[in-house]
Amino acid sequence: MHSSLFLSGLLLLPALGAVVALLVRKQEGRSYVVAVATAFLELVLSVVVAFTYNAHVANAQGFDFAYSHVLSPVLGIAYSVAADGISVWMVVLSALTVLIALLAARDRRRESAYVAWQLLLLAVTVGCFVAHDLLEFFIFFELILIPCYFMMVQWGGEKAKAAAMKFFLYTFTGSAFMLAAIIYLAVLHQQQVGGALTFAYGALAQVTTSTAAGVWLFVAFALAFGVKSPIWPLHTWSPSTYAEAPAAAGIELSALLSKLGAYGLLRFAVALLPGVQRDVRPVMLTLAVISILYGSFVACTAKDLRRFIAYSSLAQMGFVTLGIMSGSVIGTEGAVLLMFNHGVITIGVFALVGYLERRRASVAMADLRGLQGPMPVFAGLFTLFMLATMGLPGLSGFVSEYLVLIGTFGTHAWWALVATLGVVGSAVYWLWAYQRAFHGEVSTADASLADVSHAERNALWPIVALVVVLGVFPSPILNRLGPAVTSIVSHVATTGVSK
Amino acid sequence: MGHAAVLIVLLPLVGFLAILFNGKGISERATGVVGTAAVGLSFVATVTTFVLYLRHEGQVTVNLFTWLNVDTLHVPVALLIDPLALTMCLFVTGISTLIHLYSTAYMAGEKDFRKFFLYLNLFVFSMLLLVLANNLVLTFVGWEGVGVCSYWLVSYYFTKESAASAGKKAFIYNRVGDLGLLSAMFLLFTHLHTLTYVGVFQGASTLSPTMATLIVLSLLVAAAGKSAQIPLFNWLPDAMEGPTPVSALIHAATMVTAGVFLLVRMSPVLTLSADGRHVIAIIGGLTAFVAATIATAQKDIKKVLAFSTVSQIGYMVLAVGIGDYTAAIFLMVAHAFFKALLFLGSGSVIHSLHGEQDMRKMGGLAKFLPLTFPTFLLGWLTISGVPPFAGFWAKGAILSSAYSANKLLYALALLTAVLTAYYMTRLFVLTFRGEQRFAASMTDAPHESPWAMTLPLVVLAVLSVFGGVLDLPWMHAHTMATFVSGSIVSVTPLAAQSAGLQITLAVVDACAALLGLAAAFTLWRGRSERPGLELSFFEHVWRWDDAYDAVIGRPLTTVATVAGSVVEDQVIDGAVMGLAQTVTRSSVGLRKIQTGFVRHYALAMFFGLALIVVYLVARVG
Amino acid sequence: MTLHAPLINYLAILPFLFLTGAALLLLFMTALTRDRLSTRVSSTIAVSAALGGFVATFVQWFEVDHHGATTTAAHAIVMDGFSAVMCASICSSLVFALLIAHDWQGRERFNGAEYQMLALLATSGSVLMTQANDLVLVFLGLEILSIALYCLIAFNRRRYKSSESSMKYFLLGGFAAAIFIYGAALTYGATGTTNVTSIAYFLGTTHLLHPGLLLAGGGLMMVAFAFKVQAVPFHFWSPDVYEGAPTPVTGFHASIVWGGAFAAMIRVMISGLGSQIDTWRPIFFGLIVLSTIVGACFAILQGNAKRLLAYSSVSHSGFILLGVWTGTAVGVSAAAFYVLTYAPVVLGSFAIVALVGGVGDSNHELEKYRGLARRNPWIGFSLSVLLLSQLGVPLTVGFNGKFAVLAATIDAGNIYGAIVALVGACIAAFAYLRWTTGLYAAENLDQPALVVPWASRVVITLAVLYALVFGVDPGLLTSIASHATLLFQP
Repeated sequence: MHSSLFLSGLLLLPALGAVVALLVRKQEGRSYVVAVATAFLELVLSVVVAFTYNAHVANAQGFDFAYSHVLSPVLGIAYSVAADGISVWMVVLSALTVLIALLAARDRRRESAYVAWQLLLLAVTVGCFVAHDLLEFFIFFELILIPCYFMMVQWGGEKAKAAAMKFFLYTFTGSAFMLAAIIYLAVLHQQQVGGALTFAYGALAQVTTSTAAGVWLFVAFALAFGVKSPIWPLHTWSPSTYAEAPAAAGIELSALLSKLGAYGLLRFAVALLPGVQRDVRPVMLTLAVISILYGSFVACTAKDLRRFIAYSSLAQMGFVTLGIMSGSVIGTEGAVLLMFNHGVITIGVFALVGYLERRRASVAMADLRGLQGPMPVFAGLFTLFMLATMGLPGLSGFVSEYLVLIGTFGTHAWWALVATLGVVGSAVYWLWAYQRAFHGEVSTADASLADVSHAERNALWPIVALVVVLGVFPSPILNRLGPAVTSIVSHVATTGVSK
Repeated sequence: MGHAAVLIVLLPLVGFLAILFNGKGISERATGVVGTAAVGLSFVATVTTFVLYLRHEGQVTVNLFTWLNVDTLHVPVALLIDPLALTMCLFVTGISTLIHLYSTAYMAGEKDFRKFFLYLNLFVFSMLLLVLANNLVLTFVGWEGVGVCSYWLVSYYFTKESAASAGKKAFIYNRVGDLGLLSAMFLLFTHLHTLTYVGVFQGASTLSPTMATLIVLSLLVAAAGKSAQIPLFNWLPDAMEGPTPVSALIHAATMVTAGVFLLVRMSPVLTLSADGRHVIAIIGGLTAFVAATIATAQKDIKKVLAFSTVSQIGYMVLAVGIGDYTAAIFLMVAHAFFKALLFLGSGSVIHSLHGEQDMRKMGGLAKFLPLTFPTFLLGWLTISGVPPFAGFWAKGAILSSAYSANKLLYALALLTAVLTAYYMTRLFVLTFRGEQRFAASMTDAPHESPWAMTLPLVVLAVLSVFGGVLDLPWMHAHTMATFVSGSIVSVTPLAAQSAGLQITLAVVDACAALLGLAAAFTLWRGRSERPGLELSFFEHVWRWDDAYDAVIGRPLTTVATVAGSVVEDQVIDGAVMGLAQTVTRSSVGLRKIQTGFVRHYALAMFFGLALIVVYLVARVG
Repeated sequence: MTLHAPLINYLAILPFLFLTGAALLLLFMTALTRDRLSTRVSSTIAVSAALGGFVATFVQWFEVDHHGATTTAAHAIVMDGFSAVMCASICSSLVFALLIAHDWQGRERFNGAEYQMLALLATSGSVLMTQANDLVLVFLGLEILSIALYCLIAFNRRRYKSSESSMKYFLLGGFAAAIFIYGAALTYGATGTTNVTSIAYFLGTTHLLHPGLLLAGGGLMMVAFAFKVQAVPFHFWSPDVYEGAPTPVTGFHASIVWGGAFAAMIRVMISGLGSQIDTWRPIFFGLIVLSTIVGACFAILQGNAKRLLAYSSVSHSGFILLGVWTGTAVGVSAAAFYVLTYAPVVLGSFAIVALVGGVGDSNHELEKYRGLARRNPWIGFSLSVLLLSQLGVPLTVGFNGKFAVLAATIDAGNIYGAIVALVGACIAAFAYLRWTTGLYAAENLDQPALVVPWASRVVITLAVLYALVFGVDPGLLTSIASHATLLFQP
């Protein structure tokens, strides 16, 4: 067992950073420096944690760094954190996202508040990933809305207010019923085991439910996570949200929120309800496949680049859902890796869109043309991320997508086969968008656009490096994912069959 | 030997990185040198490996590092050095070197000269990876790599919409083919739990016949995508949008041979499914014929060559289908020689005419291009299958095995041979003979290209002429065939043919070729066009694109539009928003009861009370 | 014959004494001093009395903790954990309410002690309701509370709406009071006693062949309580009254009246008639469904802050009723906890509403709030926190309160009630969000920033701190609430 201080540190560091950033708001730009430093420290710390994590030191379920303190024995409210191979990488992703968002999309309007919100978002996201208690997770999960909401309301345009409202209500409603489900689980646990009311992950993992109840619980969870992920048809908040969010928030929303949904699906909806998996898999797999194909189709009709990314993400997250519900170790591991990779790639793409918006007001597909002429480096970066998303071997996207498909094929061949069509789909809509925006004769107005500056380029170096390195050498992540994923999948398999 | 083998793959990659990272700084010339040197050295490394290999026989696996290691899936990054891989490497690197050299002159002065060599090196690297990989996943890396490189190179002139679309088309067609390779891998892994070639070959025998057939058909789809076979062959002509050296690279050395290579590589699995092989043979035969017919009606010199490639690859696939893998490889090598020659030659022609590609505006170039003309002439004779050039032997091998395998296919192949000779002669005549029709579009007289372009022509001409010695029928003991067969699990060998029959068949081939030649000469002497012989149905690729557009393209577009405008906005989001509005509307309706009059409030209280009383009464009584 | 005055445990009625005593003191002072008593003096006296009551409840608390709950004055008054907690909540709310009123009086030029007196009396009635162990005493408290309240609502004689709403409340309140006393009478007829404990004892020992009378009585009393806690369909008066009454009174109402009414309802319906809980549950369930959903649906339409808060408190009543529905100790303490989490937050909100209302107490349209966060960042932030707490966002007390009642009710097997309530919460969320979003609009930036008097500043700051601190770590509150057990529970 490693020290439990790591995770609390990861949780507190950004929160403190936010406070400091607010305190030093008087001096121009000081709070920005504080924020960047905090995010950087967080990243370093999270990487340290990720590499210190060792399945042999962890407990049977593969959790390590555990710490738990009950706040209210009456209500069973507790602060309890632990991390396994999955969470550690999600934490790294969170830190990376916010750091790059700060670097790539600086916004000087009321900067101190803005960066404070971003750091809070980081803290809350990390909280979600390290929470080892269902109620605590729910609290963080709901709390995500607050920073996102305020960032959109205060730094987005007038349209952003409506989008933020839709986003908040959509997701809030989605997760409301999860609260009922969580409480119900805890009550069941109390009835079966006795003792005080507790929401501890380990404890609730022991609960056995009737199939009917289990299915309803799964539905409640799937609703919450399906909205966040998003899974078709619960995705309609994302296009408007992606489109209206201010640059930095946009990066964080697109890269992080979806991962929360998928993470929750795996960690709770799947791992806690092994009994019903066989009943729900066909439905979920079908929805996943629909997400993939539907996303591909609609992406081809997207009005602007931001909406385009939203639909591309829908398709990508479809692959994630597919892997998570596949019930195979390879597929699930691929899905988790895909969560990480898609997060990283999305940071890059969204940052590029932000760069473009600095140069020309609109990123509407209709009036983009021949940008490769004036902005070759920009086009190059975009191509790299495009190919990574399309799953070009040698880049990060391929490994994960491939694992998802080959894993799922082993357990649910037909769904995997249909999903494989998505490979062609992604090629179609990405190349369509690329030709639209970068090929052809550049308009006279855009002919003079400046290529990405050095600062802008440097901000994206980590992303480029990750996209390439993880494509060639994903072992550092895969090796740590292995035990965690295996324990979940085998637990589901054994318990599920025994029912 | 291992080190040398690693160098084969590594050098082009190094060249790529070198150009990528200090590109801006170095001059055009230096870039060309670096690019060409990288591939040239890779060729040297290949030769070294080859020699070392010949010293001590036996295939070698070079493990570099573990790529994927998840649950039961282990994918190493490792190279498999065996006769097949080496043969491929030899001509891939060799010819690529020549093409690189050629490009330094041909692309001189282009805006994105550096980017061109960037892609070119990456292209070669991918191809070599594809060939040398010891497992399917790694092969897939190269497989996709050449796909994306072709996308870049075809849409090289990105300001041209047609070029951009052609690149996109190439990539998407390849992607469709990839589905085949992917599903083949899925099937193999699910049943054999390994994807290394050695492992698959060992376990292959455990596959059920149906499974084997499924896998073979998936492989065929993959091959059809890459090697431009029916039904996925129509991306190749569009790929002519790229600069001519690219066409040469795609057609001769790298991309399109990959599909055939994959099929040959998987021969142990192919042997398991006779049905599968029949399909392959038929597809090959048909493609060869269809493409040949199309080639007879093209007006663009590069288009003709493009369809001749499709047709020739068709021959190779046919050979694979009837189980004569060595013949397939033989033709692949010979084809690499003369097709590279022809493309570079045509490039030289186009160069001399400042980019003119329409054969109707050429003619009589013979005297202007003292070096291009003779080399092209040799290339023409070779592809037409005139003895004793390489084409004759290579095609002959296939035809004779086809004869003993299936008479119908043999007839088809023979007919194709006639057509081949015919359309190539037509091309030759229109380009080099007859009166000079280019005067209109030209200010100055056409001029011969610089040495960097002509030298490769000469080398390739020599290779085309003497390529036949690689595998002469009567010295089967120690030729390429025997060498390559080391890495092939061949089907039950075809019935051995008597010497007499062989000679007869050879004579028939020769006659077919001469027939085509003669016909073309008589028909096309002194003409620039003959509408009667240029059926628009052939010219428009048997309306293949239109059919796809009608059956697949437009319907899917409609689906996308509907999904985007109707389903997304109105159905799904409509439902969500509708829910919200319903709540609001019903609230508005409800609001009316809040009148502000005490009497109504009291009434409401009374009703509430009454309701409760009723309930209680019901409960009691 | 000699008349024995019952023994009285003065500690039990200490808070009540503080409040009434202060009220009388102020009465005398106004009578004796020549010119009007200054607001500062009267406020000081009233606040200190309220604080005294607050402290007294803690003494009661320890008493109960060590020697158990007791009854006194012929078992008419009870002192148990529940009463102590509710008393504490009410007294602390009174402090807030008085502070708000202090600034309001300053703005509106209402000198003198009348307001404080009435507030003290009303609160004493509310306190009495938390401790009443006898239907008669419950009625007594109800009336003390109500009559004082009528005057308070009509207090702003310059505003016509004020007196109108007071009249409405008076009429309907009379109606409710009549219903209650009739129900009490029927109950007496059925059980032969008005003492809650005795009723419970009687019902526990004897089996009623004809429970009709009892049930009717219980039903009627429930209606009266439902009226006081603004449960649909007995809530119609509340938006009008909230809008009409002076803003401090509204805050007063939303916290103190509410708390007292719920205390009495729980005491009577659970401690007394709890053995019939299966009969009451369907009624409660109906009230829950209507209050949470209808309250929310009306809330999202309101363009007026005070009306919006009225409906929001309606839906909050629905949530508390989830706790009452259970009829279990867990449920009761959850309900008490909910009151604890709601009162300070709503008072804080009303403090801000009163400020924005400004002189004349008239600017209550939500438009007036647009851009507030840009003009007064901290006020904007505070209001956001308070509203989000009522919305039920985690890490605010509001979430913990909702969570507690949901846990209790699901624990008792009322999963559907929980789901309905959650739906209501989701609908209501829109109302709070719209308000909050408006705060950050870049409009009305030219308007002058609000001046925040010290008293209001204290209230707001305390409320926000309360919402956040106990939102993050509700341990203390929950452990207190968990001791909020009734003296007797079937």
